[in-house]
Amino acid sequence: MNLSQLKPGSKSRILKIGSVGPLKRRLMDMGVLVGEEIIVEKIAPMGDPIEIKIKNYKLSLRKKEAAEIEVEECV
Amino acid sequence: MIDLEIKNSKKQLTVAVAGNPNSGKSTLINAIAGTRLQVGNWSGVTVEKKEASFKHGNLNIRIVDLPGTYSLSPYSQEEVIARNYLINMKPDLIVNVVDATNLERNLYLTVQLLELGIPLLMALNIYDESEKKGYKINVRKIEEMLRIKVVPTIATQKSGLENLLLEIESFASKPKNEILPMLHYNNDLDNSIKNVVEEIKPAYEYLNENKLRWLAIKIIEGDELVLKEFGIKNRNELINQFCGHLIKGHDSDLESLIADARYGIATGLSHEVLEKPKIQKEEITEKIDRIVLNRYLGIPIFLLAMWLMFKLTFDIANPFVDLIDGITAGPMNRWFAFLLASINSPAWFISLVTDGIIAGVGFVLVFVPVIFAMMFFITFLEGSGYMARAAFVMDKAMHGIGLHGKSFIPLLLGFGCNVPSIYATRTLENEKDKILTSLIVPFMSCGARLPVYVIFSSAFFPGNGGFILWLLYVIGIGVAVVSGLIFKKTLFKGENSLFIMELPPYRMPTMKSLMIHTWEKGKHFLVKAGTYILAVSIFIWFLLNLPWGVENKKDSFLGIAGQVAAPVLEPIGFGNWEAASALITGVIAKEIVVGTMAEIYVDNLDEPEKEELSFGNDIKEIGIGFYDAVKSAGINISSTFSIATITAEEDSGLSTLKGVIQTKFTPLAAISFMIFVLLYMPCIITGVAYKQEFGTWKWYGISLINGFGAAWILSLIVYQGGLLLGFGG
Ligand SMILES: Nc1nc2c(ncn2[C@@H]2O[C@H](COP(=O)(O)OP(=O)(O)O)[C@@H](O)[C@H]2O)c(=O)[nH]1
Ligand SMILES: [Mg+2]
Repeated sequence: MNLSQLKPGSKSRILKIGSVGPLKRRLMDMGVLVGEEIIVEKIAPMGDPIEIKIKNYKLSLRKKEAAEIEVEECV
Repeated sequence: MIDLEIKNSKKQLTVAVAGNPNSGKSTLINAIAGTRLQVGNWSGVTVEKKEASFKHGNLNIRIVDLPGTYSLSPYSQEEVIARNYLINMKPDLIVNVVDATNLERNLYLTVQLLELGIPLLMALNIYDESEKKGYKINVRKIEEMLRIKVVPTIATQKSGLENLLLEIESFASKPKNEILPMLHYNNDLDNSIKNVVEEIKPAYEYLNENKLRWLAIKIIEGDELVLKEFGIKNRNELINQFCGHLIKGHDSDLESLIADARYGIATGLSHEVLEKPKIQKEEITEKIDRIVLNRYLGIPIFLLAMWLMFKLTFDIANPFVDLIDGITAGPMNRWFAFLLASINSPAWFISLVTDGIIAGVGFVLVFVPVIFAMMFFITFLEGSGYMARAAFVMDKAMHGIGLHGKSFIPLLLGFGCNVPSIYATRTLENEKDKILTSLIVPFMSCGARLPVYVIFSSAFFPGNGGFILWLLYVIGIGVAVVSGLIFKKTLFKGENSLFIMELPPYRMPTMKSLMIHTWEKGKHFLVKAGTYILAVSIFIWFLLNLPWGVENKKDSFLGIAGQVAAPVLEPIGFGNWEAASALITGVIAKEIVVGTMAEIYVDNLDEPEKEELSFGNDIKEIGIGFYDAVKSAGINISSTFSIATITAEEDSGLSTLKGVIQTKFTPLAAISFMIFVLLYMPCIITGVAYKQEFGTWKWYGISLINGFGAAWILSLIVYQGGLLLGFGG
C-alpha cells in the first residue's frame, strides 16, 4: 500500500521510500523517513495534493510523490 | 588619533543567520537591524539576500541572512547558496534560528550546521507560542547536550534580542579557531567516520579536526558537490574499506543512513528536552484550515481572498498613482517648461525635458505605488501562512500546465499589471517554476491594454464591447496555457519540480517586517527600473523628433521604422506605417499605442497649453500626444477592469481618432489588431523586471519572441480565416 491510497484520518507507518534522487532526498530532509508515523489530514479540493502530518508538523505533497512512499496502516 | 585607534580596536564579526523557512528569521533580522537592512540578490540568482552592518559595543557586526532551508543537502538553490556561503565565506558565527514549536525538524538542520565546525549560537524563537501550547523546553539541557549557547527569543516582540546580542559579544571575546565539540551519532558510524578521517588526514593537512570530520561525513554521505570541490576520487575505495558493515545494514544507501543518524540526534534531543502537555488543545491553525481547506469552501475562499488582494492592491495604489501623475503631468511639467523658456532654451530642448525626461520620470513613479501595495500583500500572504494554502488549493489546476500552485498569484496580478507579477514570482521556490510563470505572465491582459481595446471595440463594435473584451481576456489565457505546455515540453523538458511543501501554522506578520520588506522592494524598483525606463523614454522621443526638424511624421525615424516594419503586418490586416509606428512606441506601455495613433492620425488635437505658453510646433505636438499617452497609461494601470473611467476620459481628440480608425481599418483588421496588441510583447518595464529577477535579459528576449510569434500567428489565422469566410468587408 502506498501513501496516496489512504483516506483522510488514517494513520500509517512508513515502510519504504521507493524513489531515488531529488525526491527521496527532499523527503528525507523533511523528516519523511522509514519507521515514521504519518496521519493523512486532508485532500485538496481538486483531489490533489494531499496534506499529511508527520513529526508533528504539516506537509503537503502531490499524490504522485506520495505514491513513492510505501506504508502500512496502523491503528 | 585617539578616535582612529578606537576604530581600529573594533572587532569585525560576520554572523550568518540560518534556519528553517518560517522560523522567524526575517522578523528576527528586521528587529535587530531595522532599516539598516539591505535587500539584494545572491549574485547571479533569484534568491533574495539580506544583510546589515552595524556597531554594537566595540564590535562591527555584519549580519547575513541565509535563505531559509530545511537541510544543507544540495536539493534546492536556496540550500546550495546557504551551504556555499557557510563553507566558502567562513562566517565567524552562525545564529541558528529554531522554531520552538517544531523542535525536532528544526534540530535536523542544527545538527548539519554543527557538523560544519563553525561556532553556533541558537535563537530558540517563537518561544511565546511554544509556551502557549504548554510546551516545557529545558533550555539548559539543549546547551549541555549540544554544547552551544541557546537564547530563547520572541522576534515579534523583540524579546530576547538583547540576550542574543550579549551572547554574540561574549563570543567575540573568545579566542578564534578553537576546536569545537563534535556530535556523536552511533558507535558504528562514529568508527567509520574516525577511520575515514585518519585516512584522508595526510592529504588535507590544512583542515582542522572539525573540518576533517565534516569532510569524512560528506564522503560517506556521497555529497557530489563536496567530493568534486575537494577532488576526492576514491570514495568507493574508502567506503569499501571503512563502511562495509554500514552498507550491509542499510540497503547500501549511505545517504539515508546519515540522514537517519542526524534525525536520531534531533529526535533524541527533542525527547530529552521537550515536555508536551498530555492533552493538546485544538490549535487555531486546525480550526482555520478546516474552513479554508474545506472541500467545498476551499476554492471559493481562495478566489475571494485573491479578489480582495487584487482589489486592495490596485485600489490602494490608485490615488497615489493619480497624485504622482498629477504632479508630474501638471505643475512639474509646466514649471520646467516655463523655467526653460525663461532662459531662452530652444523649443526642442524644452520638449525633450518635459516630454522625454519628465514624462519618463513620471512613468517610473506611477509604478511605485502598485509595486509597494503588491509587495505588501504578497509579504503578508507569505508571512501569515496563507500562501502555502493557496498553493495547496490551486496546485492541481496549475500543475496541469506545468506550473506550481503558487504560480496562480503572479498570474492573477498580471491582469492588473505585468510588472509586479514578475516580482511576485519570487514566492516560488524553484527556478524553473519562476521562469516558466514569468514567461506566461505577459499573456494576462494588463490594464494598459484596455484603452486600445476600448477605442477599437467602440469604433467597430459599439454595444458589443463587453463581449469583445471578454473574448480578448480568454484568448490571452488560452495562449498562456498553450505557451506553458510548449515551454514545458521544450525549454524545461524533463525538469520536474516537486511539491513537497510545509503548511506552516498561521501567524501574524509584524507591521515593521512588512514595511521594511515593502520599502526595500519599492526602492529597488525605483533605482534600477528608473534608469532603464528613463533611457527608453528619451530614446523614443528622439525617434519621434529625428532627423532634426522633421516636419512630416512619416519622415521621422519612428515613421521610417514603421514603414520598414509595415510589410510584416500586411498579412495580418494592418500593413501601414501608422499602425506599425504606434506598435513600436508600445514598447514603453501598450496604452501608448493609442496616444501615438492619435498623434499620427489626428493632426489638430486640442491643445490648451499651446497658446498659453506659445512655443508650439509640430515636434511639441507629437511630444504632448506622447506625454498624454504616458499619463493615461499610468492611470489605467490602476483602473484595471473599470472600463467606465476610461470611456469617460475620452476627449474630443480621441473621438476624432475613432472616426479616422474606422476609415483605416476594417472590422476584421480591428479584431486582428486587438489580438496583436494583446499578445505582441511585454513592455520594457516588464523586461526590466525580468532582468532584475533573473539577472539576464535572456528571458525577456524569449518572451518577446514568444509573444511576437503568438501574436502574429494568431492574428494571421483570425484575419486570413476571416477573409476566407467572407468577413473582409
Ligand atoms: N508568535 C510568534 N510569531 C513569530 C515569531 N517570530 C516570527 N513570527 C511570525 O512567524 C511568521 C514567519 O516569520 P518570518 O520572519 O517571515 O519567517 P522566515 O521565513 O524565517 O523569514 C511571521 O508571521 C512572523 O510574524 C515569534 O517569536 N513569535
Ligand atoms: Mg523570510
